[in-house]
Amino acid sequence: MAAEAVLELGREENMGGRIPGNKGMWVGITCEFVEFAVLFIVYFVARANFPDAFQQGAERLSRVSGTVITLLMLTSSFFIACSVNTMRAGKRRQSIYWLVAGLLVALGYPIAKYLEISSNLAQGINGESGIFFTVYYYLTFNHLVHATWGILGILWVLVRHLFGGYSVEDHHGLEALASYWHATDIIWLIIFPMFYVLA
Amino acid sequence: MTKHDKTPSTSLVPLTLTWLVLCILTVLSLGLGQWFHAAAWLPLLVAVIVWVKGTLVARYFIESELAHPFIRRLLMGFIAFAPLWLILTGFYGGQFAQWGSLFLKH
Repeated sequence: MAAEAVLELGREENMGGRIPGNKGMWVGITCEFVEFAVLFIVYFVARANFPDAFQQGAERLSRVSGTVITLLMLTSSFFIACSVNTMRAGKRRQSIYWLVAGLLVALGYPIAKYLEISSNLAQGINGESGIFFTVYYYLTFNHLVHATWGILGILWVLVRHLFGGYSVEDHHGLEALASYWHATDIIWLIIFPMFYVLA
Repeated sequence: MTKHDKTPSTSLVPLTLTWLVLCILTVLSLGLGQWFHAAAWLPLLVAVIVWVKGTLVARYFIESELAHPFIRRLLMGFIAFAPLWLILTGFYGGQFAQWGSLFLKH
């Protein structure tokens, strides 16, 4: 039964390839990518014009915070992908456990960001501390906003999942949420080296 | 077997392996940034690592190979976009800044 449903999922829209989740979510993800592409251009223009500010600025940021956030994003993304795969296999209870794990790990991101910002402010680093920090704050805050939407989305999908909203045959909502979270993860994987690795 | 004959995965093994590689690459890129922070080739290496990590998430977590061509191209384009700029500004940052100042003068 589960295998047949998975086979069916794979063959849906066979001619053009499948849509992970739903079309609406991919319109949103496309807009998210366009928005961050514009923000990345601003980063690269600023970096080209003020290389010294970017060299010195990165050295004042907490690499530990950046690494912790990256590992949290990767791990929550992994757990949510596991939730989708176990749902496809017909293991609803396991899928819920993976989703709860994904939510708990994802909640670590705003906490880690709060601690990082507190540490920055204690050192006198704010949005007016120079071009590097202006770009750092608007890019990372913007990502945090997108991640917060994702966390709210995980909560919503979890509630639906608990009430039996998803089945092997139809779990597009879960997969749409997973796609959004993975896209937000990809964006963070690009932001991470920009501020924490390339000093 | 063509890619349209493939079905979405129900296994956790490829996901686990992908997650492990992603974590290793994250720690590796951090180490490279600290050990070789003055090296001219660092932006190139970091760009390659970013591209590999993004591609792994797209391929194994989103299963982009099974996805509609628009989604596949969107992911490929976005994942290549920033690493390309990293390389360009890493090696030709000064020239980009000069061109920018030319535009501003006019």
